[in-house]
Amino acid sequence: MSLFLIAALPFLGAVLPALLVRASRNAAAGTAAGATALALIGVLTHAPAVMRGEVPMARAPWVPSLGLNANLMLDGLGLLFALLILGIGLLIILYARFYLTRRDPMGKFYALLLLFQGAMLGIVLSDNILMLLIFWELTSLSSFLLIGYWNHLPEGRQGARMALTVTGAGGLAMIAGALLLGQAAGSMELSDIIARREAVQASELYLPALILILAGCFAKSAQFPFHFWLPHAMAAPTPVSAYLHSATMVKAGLFLMARLWPALAGTDAWFLLAASVGLITMVLGAVTALFKDDLKGLLAYSTVSHLGLVTFLLGLGTPAGAVAAVFHIINHATFKAALFMTAGIVDHETGTRDIRRLGGLAAFMPVTFLIGAVAALSMAGVPPLNGFLSKEMMLHEAAHTAWLGSELALPVLAGLAALFSAAYSFRFVAHVFLGKPRLAHAEPPHDPVVWFWLPPAILASLTVLIGLFPQSMAGELVRAAAGAVTAGAAPEIKLKLWHGVNEALMISAAALAGGAAALALHGPLARVWAVVAPPAAKRAFDALVGAATAAARRLTDALHDGDFGRSAAIFSVFAAGLGAWAWTAGGAAPLGAFPAALGPTPPIPLIGWVCLVTATLTLTALHRHRLLALVLIGVTGLMVSLTFSYFSAPDLALTQISVEVVSIILLLLALNFMPRETPRESSAARRARDLAAAAAAGLGVGAAIYAILVGDFAFAPISEFHLANSKTGGGGENVVNVILVDFRGFDTFGEITVLGIAAVLIYALTETIMAGPVRARLLNRRPAEPQAGDAHPMMMVVATRVLMPIALTVAVYIFLRGHNAPGGGFIAGLIVSVAFVMQYMASGFSWAAARQRYPYHAFIGLGVLVAAATGMGAWFNGKPFLTSDFGYVKLPGLEKFELATAALFDLGVFLTVLGAVLLALESLARYAWRPNIASAHPMDIDPTRDEAAQREEGR
Amino acid sequence: MSQAAEILIAASLAVGGVFGLVGSYGLIKLPNLVMRLHAPTKATTLGVGGVLIASMLHSWFALGRFSVHELLITMFLFLTAPVTAHFIAKAHIHRRLSARDLPAPQVDRGWATLERPEDGSPDGDPGEKAEGAQPGGGN
Repeated sequence: MSLFLIAALPFLGAVLPALLVRASRNAAAGTAAGATALALIGVLTHAPAVMRGEVPMARAPWVPSLGLNANLMLDGLGLLFALLILGIGLLIILYARFYLTRRDPMGKFYALLLLFQGAMLGIVLSDNILMLLIFWELTSLSSFLLIGYWNHLPEGRQGARMALTVTGAGGLAMIAGALLLGQAAGSMELSDIIARREAVQASELYLPALILILAGCFAKSAQFPFHFWLPHAMAAPTPVSAYLHSATMVKAGLFLMARLWPALAGTDAWFLLAASVGLITMVLGAVTALFKDDLKGLLAYSTVSHLGLVTFLLGLGTPAGAVAAVFHIINHATFKAALFMTAGIVDHETGTRDIRRLGGLAAFMPVTFLIGAVAALSMAGVPPLNGFLSKEMMLHEAAHTAWLGSELALPVLAGLAALFSAAYSFRFVAHVFLGKPRLAHAEPPHDPVVWFWLPPAILASLTVLIGLFPQSMAGELVRAAAGAVTAGAAPEIKLKLWHGVNEALMISAAALAGGAAALALHGPLARVWAVVAPPAAKRAFDALVGAATAAARRLTDALHDGDFGRSAAIFSVFAAGLGAWAWTAGGAAPLGAFPAALGPTPPIPLIGWVCLVTATLTLTALHRHRLLALVLIGVTGLMVSLTFSYFSAPDLALTQISVEVVSIILLLLALNFMPRETPRESSAARRARDLAAAAAAGLGVGAAIYAILVGDFAFAPISEFHLANSKTGGGGENVVNVILVDFRGFDTFGEITVLGIAAVLIYALTETIMAGPVRARLLNRRPAEPQAGDAHPMMMVVATRVLMPIALTVAVYIFLRGHNAPGGGFIAGLIVSVAFVMQYMASGFSWAAARQRYPYHAFIGLGVLVAAATGMGAWFNGKPFLTSDFGYVKLPGLEKFELATAALFDLGVFLTVLGAVLLALESLARYAWRPNIASAHPMDIDPTRDEAAQREEGR
Repeated sequence: MSQAAEILIAASLAVGGVFGLVGSYGLIKLPNLVMRLHAPTKATTLGVGGVLIASMLHSWFALGRFSVHELLITMFLFLTAPVTAHFIAKAHIHRRLSARDLPAPQVDRGWATLERPEDGSPDGDPGEKAEGAQPGGGN
């Protein structure tokens, strides 16, 4: 299976659960599992080749000029991580199906989970460091959504925000570091960077790149001092925690450190930074974990500690350390995912995660107890489980490395971490499952259904199997991955359980004994910890974020105080100044003589000009009277349309007229909520200032137009090309339309997208406003004018009903002729909008809305999709996006006519325009809604009433 | 084009022009809104109509084809002119006049536009409606 397909499968699959959840929750889970399983199979088909030392690749240029290529590769390290991501992902999907309750939106959960999975898979498969950064940011975003999945809980939202802030900030450092690294290595391809160790380490960019990349990795992998976000992310549903914090998200930082290990490791800076931070994190996390009373909090800090362990091992910079790191990544993923799932089951069955309230569950939940105990003992490093093996390797490395000039510091600190690690693992078993039951249950808790405990059981059995038969279970994978990490320098390793009695074993034994003792002394120790514990990082974080927000707000308020007049004045003066500067700086083409260039003025334009000037002058004089101003704006718009028409631009004229109609109606709607007159608010000096600014802007625009009219263009205009190629290249005689749908189709595509977004934004703003106190104010509003008794006069209703089919016919006509004569999708969309708006105006909003079957959002979405699909259709013919095609068809009984794909694209434009206009209108109209405004009858003078009255009389 | 056709077209144009002029003059001269409302109807019916007939005759006799554009224009005029006039009159009654200034309607219902929606139930009890027809005051 192509690596592209493997990387794309989770993203493609993410659509299915969201759609299929309406069918059933099993369908949603099943499709999510199916997509994951397919990707897993795809990875497995490559596994034999990777084990042989080959590196399957898939390459495609994306933006080669930036060095950004969609290059994927699957080496040993990538294989290990891909198996972890997809394998544990599969178990999580099964587990989550039974963890989530009926109230949780399951389709959303699986869609987000698969998005996250795809992003993770992208990270581990990327061969291009820029590609990797894109996926890196995607994991930050999708994990934000996953952690905040329960968005009704404040902890969920705060935890998600904190995770996004910390990992996002780390991501920024990472981008800078990666770019520097790419500079230093002279390539953005990871395979090249890895191979150029000497060049990278000799470069003066090495140190800044190293610091920035490590900062990004540390933030992602919750290393000190960025570790504080991880415990807060525990507000997420347990499947998310199990997935993100065992196998994936937090391992991304470790992955990148391992990936870049050949290029970056081995220097003093690397050792000092990575090994020290890892060591500190390992000890700090282990100690804190012991005193956490929240089950998931304990696991969170233990995760921090174990991530520190792996960072420490990678930081050592020795091949043996890298082997141990890789092995511990596997082991940690297995036992930690199992532990999180166990904690989730306990939470699910007993309703609490507070260790102080739990106890004695072994009697009620034997299966869960067994799973939890095996996984926890593995975490403690008890033989013969897999956690023991990698911890031995770590202690062995620690015992033979000097740190900060001391031979003793490392073994002691590592032993201390191991001691506390054993202690909190024992606590997980002893305080939850053993001892007396402390929770009063109406109904004793019991083991859940088999599908719920099966995923952690599989992982727990893996810990045993890897522990007993390390070489046959994981040896090959560790060898392949370690080979990739060390670029072939890994020693030939033989994983085995018994190494004989050595320092590591002695430290380990001492740590286990000490851990048991620490657990026995947990009560007194906890009281000591309560005194000496470091302050909560959340408060400092909140204060920092608050200060940053306040500073940003002060700056924004100072620059932009919401006074439109001020913004407009600043903009006008600035633009006029720029124009004046450009003019005086020279370089402008010389102007021709005025009368000769323009010729004599015929009478009709003169009349138009007089109308226009009169309207604008009157508008300036009367602008405080809002309704009059609107009428005058309408006059101006009409004159402009006539001007277009006069200068042979019928397309523009049609568009302008339709836009005029729609916008005047929208403005009328808005005027409904404004006072009739604009009060005089500003001082005389201020009005003089505004007058000067307006005059400067107006004269500037006039001068610019004059210069264009009488001057020569610096470059030959492109119009000739369009005129020459419109019919032959685009198949249309209407050059304007061909430009819109063909030559500049991509622009149009962007524009309709923006238009749709703008309309949805208006809708969203309305939703927000109407949900707040404004709604009550609007409802209590007394209209300034007496309201008419017949809001929907029969005459208007009948006239608009008659006009509706005519308007629709005109729209179809305008749409179809668009390619060869004035018209097109945009104008047709506006005409249909006007036809709909007429119904709203004549028959009332409620009456019309009740007959409107399809939501306007759907029109927008459909329009963009149709346009995109048309554009993509070109790919199937091997042409670039949005290449249009056309042909001529002869059907019996009809004249020869043209079929063009551009018409389909135009259909997309049509739908988007229609949806956007009407969605905006519908949203604005909601402000006017008041009780009793809706009439049951389309006309307020309802003919049936008179008939009823007559029947009454006749009786 | 025959002499007769030319005379016919010229006559139609003259009729259209005269009525357009009369309508416009009335719009300026007549004393109040309701009367002024009356004047442009001349311009929109016979005034524009004359021009349209002339245009149709011209395309029939001079260009040799039948033109339907004018019929469309007529239809749109017939649809929009009454609605516009209705709204102008309605706004006038609504804003400037109270029920006392107006003659009593012939049926036992008040002036539609002066009925307050909040006063009466839509089922229409005539007694309530008469009350509703009272001037709305400044609410």
